[in-house]
Amino acid sequence: MNPHLSFFLFLLLSGVCSSLSAESRDEILRKGKELYNGAGSCVACHMADGKGQKGNIPPLAGSDWLKEGSDRSIAISLRGLAGPIQVNGKKYYAAMPPQLLFDDEKLAYILSYVNNAWGNQEDLVSKEEVAKARRELSQDVFTPQTLLKKFPFDKKYSKKNGTFTPTFDDTLTEITRPVIYRTFMPGASPAAFAVALPGNHYFCWDAGECRLRYVWTKGGFIKSNQAHWSSNGKPVAEFNGTPYYRARTTLLEDESFDELSKTNMQKPIYDTSQADDFPIRLKGLKETPSFLGYQLVEGYPKFRYSLGEHTITELIGMNDKKTGIVRTFTISPPTEAVLQLTPSAFASINCDQGKSKPDGKLLLSAKDSSHFSVLITPVEETN
Amino acid sequence: MKSFFTFIFIFWTTSMPGATAPQYSVTNIPAPPTKYKNFQIDGLTFLPNGKLVVCLPSGEIFFRDLKTESWELFAEGLHNPLGVIALSNSELIVTQRPELTRVRDTDGDGKADDFAVITDHFGMSGNYHEFNFTPVRDKQGNYFFALGTGSRGDGVRTITRGTFNERGRPGRMHSSAPYRGCIMKLTTEGKTIPWSYGHRTPNGLGFDLNGNLFVTDNQGDWVGSSKLFHVQKDHFYGHAASLAWKEGFEGTPVDTPVEKLAKMRSRACVVFPHGTMANSPTKVLAITPRAKMGPFTGQLLVGEMNRPRIMRVMLEKVGGELQGACVPFFDGSPLGRGCNRMDWAPDGSLFVGQTKHTWAGGEGIQQISWNGKTPFEIQNMELQEKGFKFTFTKPVNREIGAKKETWPFSRYFYEYREAYGSPRSDETKVEISAIHISKDAKTIEVELAELKAWHIHEVTVQNLTSSSGDKLSNNYIVYTLNRLLKNTPPEPLQIKVASKDSKGKKS
Ligand code: HEC
Repeated sequence: MNPHLSFFLFLLLSGVCSSLSAESRDEILRKGKELYNGAGSCVACHMADGKGQKGNIPPLAGSDWLKEGSDRSIAISLRGLAGPIQVNGKKYYAAMPPQLLFDDEKLAYILSYVNNAWGNQEDLVSKEEVAKARRELSQDVFTPQTLLKKFPFDKKYSKKNGTFTPTFDDTLTEITRPVIYRTFMPGASPAAFAVALPGNHYFCWDAGECRLRYVWTKGGFIKSNQAHWSSNGKPVAEFNGTPYYRARTTLLEDESFDELSKTNMQKPIYDTSQADDFPIRLKGLKETPSFLGYQLVEGYPKFRYSLGEHTITELIGMNDKKTGIVRTFTISPPTEAVLQLTPSAFASINCDQGKSKPDGKLLLSAKDSSHFSVLITPVEETN
Repeated sequence: MKSFFTFIFIFWTTSMPGATAPQYSVTNIPAPPTKYKNFQIDGLTFLPNGKLVVCLPSGEIFFRDLKTESWELFAEGLHNPLGVIALSNSELIVTQRPELTRVRDTDGDGKADDFAVITDHFGMSGNYHEFNFTPVRDKQGNYFFALGTGSRGDGVRTITRGTFNERGRPGRMHSSAPYRGCIMKLTTEGKTIPWSYGHRTPNGLGFDLNGNLFVTDNQGDWVGSSKLFHVQKDHFYGHAASLAWKEGFEGTPVDTPVEKLAKMRSRACVVFPHGTMANSPTKVLAITPRAKMGPFTGQLLVGEMNRPRIMRVMLEKVGGELQGACVPFFDGSPLGRGCNRMDWAPDGSLFVGQTKHTWAGGEGIQQISWNGKTPFEIQNMELQEKGFKFTFTKPVNREIGAKKETWPFSRYFYEYREAYGSPRSDETKVEISAIHISKDAKTIEVELAELKAWHIHEVTVQNLTSSSGDKLSNNYIVYTLNRLLKNTPPEPLQIKVASKDSKGKKS
């Protein structure tokens, strides 16, 4: 339709009906439709046909979320919703921002329309209901959990609707060449690496503290790769296995990886400026290391970091039999050094230089320090 | 009556006929062969040899040879790379979450094999919203990059990087890890310093042709509507959280009286009205002499996430500071949504990368080319003593241009407040007192009954055609009038004190 003509018609009609005290249902739905389809309105995401966008924005057409009264949809519209939800059996990961363009009356028109468009058959929404919610709801953006606690689904709908924990099929099965991702890992600072090596050994290396965190082999590499990469970047990677080697640090106790995957802390357990137990001690130096980067050596990562005047490199690969990982270090200029390892019942540790102590310390002379290797193999694999 | 008026207003904006001028065409570029079926583009530039460079959320970087139309994988494994500069055909500078990284192919096999930290002297709480946006490099070789704040949509991780600062933690968008919400400078001597403060989601730095640095920000808490700032050393641009890192600033930023913050803040040179102009502006790109885009050299392009739109920004110095206007330029299908990164191809066409990251947006790469013929556009909008001077790319139809109804001006401002966004305050129609059209019919001076400093002035030019009957392609234009040419009144605070219950949750 010619925009000027429709504009004129609209003026005419809304002029007439605003003088009536009780509007007809058709008037309400017509106004709601107009508003729903306006710039910056729901249409931008949920689309004119109410079907949403496949795999991204949930549908309003036929959505169970509109059922059992309008309190839930009013709440979503006013405060937004962020977190994974299931709508009529399909999963969505996106977030909806609060809809701030509309006053109570306009939002009532819109939701009345949504409730009765595309085959939906729900109640009209009054501006009083919206006003009440606006007054009474907390200001926070809803998560699916907080929303559904307040506005739960009736049994009838709860199976196909609600929230869920994303889990994804492993995208990598047999590892034939090293795979390196920088991503959020549990039990590491946010500047972490997840690395998979041929032979299917995996490890987490933390650039925030320049240290190997843990190594595992069973249960596959990290999951949820796709979710992380197509979402806002929030998910902390998950994996199924239990590490056969996990470096002990003074600042973490035995927190589980689930615990260490938390993203909703008010404050951290610790920040990296407090980390004072860097595993490599160089004679006479108290400094903490700085991460310098990494090089790919035939695809394998060779991390480098500086400690005082010294540069340390750590190349992590597999042994020939592919039964464990080999960490090859260089320190230059060479100097007397101690490497703290973590002895464990699940791994055997073998060093090609220096003197190994029962507490896991590897004592290195200046000569040893220029090039030494540590082989870590899971115990069950080697017996 | 007032609500009736705003009701009409919303309707009106939907029927705005904005569109890309027919002199421009949009071509889709085939997606890179990513393994992960996600074609969002978070970084885009060109190598000196003319190859296109794109970064994906999967951490992959691809090159595309535009002649052979083939893709090659250059690097993988980066953590949400959100911007890229090419230093040579084998060396890139990339902003990824934890670092500014130099990514190099040192053995000439076409694949990156060395990833060197050029700076990681900033913090990460691990909150997903702490994006590390767009590196840019000035003529001297200093780098600038922009650190997003953390979102109240989530908290912090169990181990955070950099000294945790509890003063920056409260509020909707927080800054508990060093310098979140700052524009950072990495100097040629290798020092990393916070350069400016008060940013919320600064998704897109860029220089103009005079070397001025700009950054966009997204509507939200402390940001009434999205903005473009002229970035200057030590300035504070309004979002409170990052003040936790400003030397000499005491107390918890969000608990600071709004009056005090309002007096500290520097204004935007352009405000993008929410819902009508932009909801989530992105990269700033100057129209260089090399660009083949029509008669707009020296102006800026700014992308927008929520709708298929790239805006054009024209600035002027008034009272010693930059301010100016924005107008949609490429608007509507076939342009995609989520225009996030863009750069000039060797042939002067514009390449655009689209993304969404769960927000409104899109995915893919498009090329915008100009056919060399002059589009009918508003070329410039400049402040005058009593109104604005519009310069057009072609002579206008004098009869239509001279009518007051052609120029339905209104003005308003956005409040400065902690709450999310802001309504338009004090929205008023502005009467036209006189219209003067130049001899060549290319400039029109529109005098207003009143010009109000520190207010946004906008107009949707009605039915204007060129003298030969072309429709004005983009007729919605918004001027952020901070300072007047003469006698600018003192800057009003334009604050709103948040009521108790709408304040950020504290615990
Ligand atoms: C910026 C995009 C966007 C806009 C605009 C938007 N929504 Fe949503 N909406 C979403 C997303 C994304 C979700 C899913 C949120 C999640 O997964 O947590 C959603 C979920 C919903 C739901 C619950 C799920 C369902 O499908 O029923 C309702 C109801 C809803 N929106 C209504 C609205 C209404 C009414 C408006 C306009 C007033 C609106 N939305 C505007 C993106 C949007």
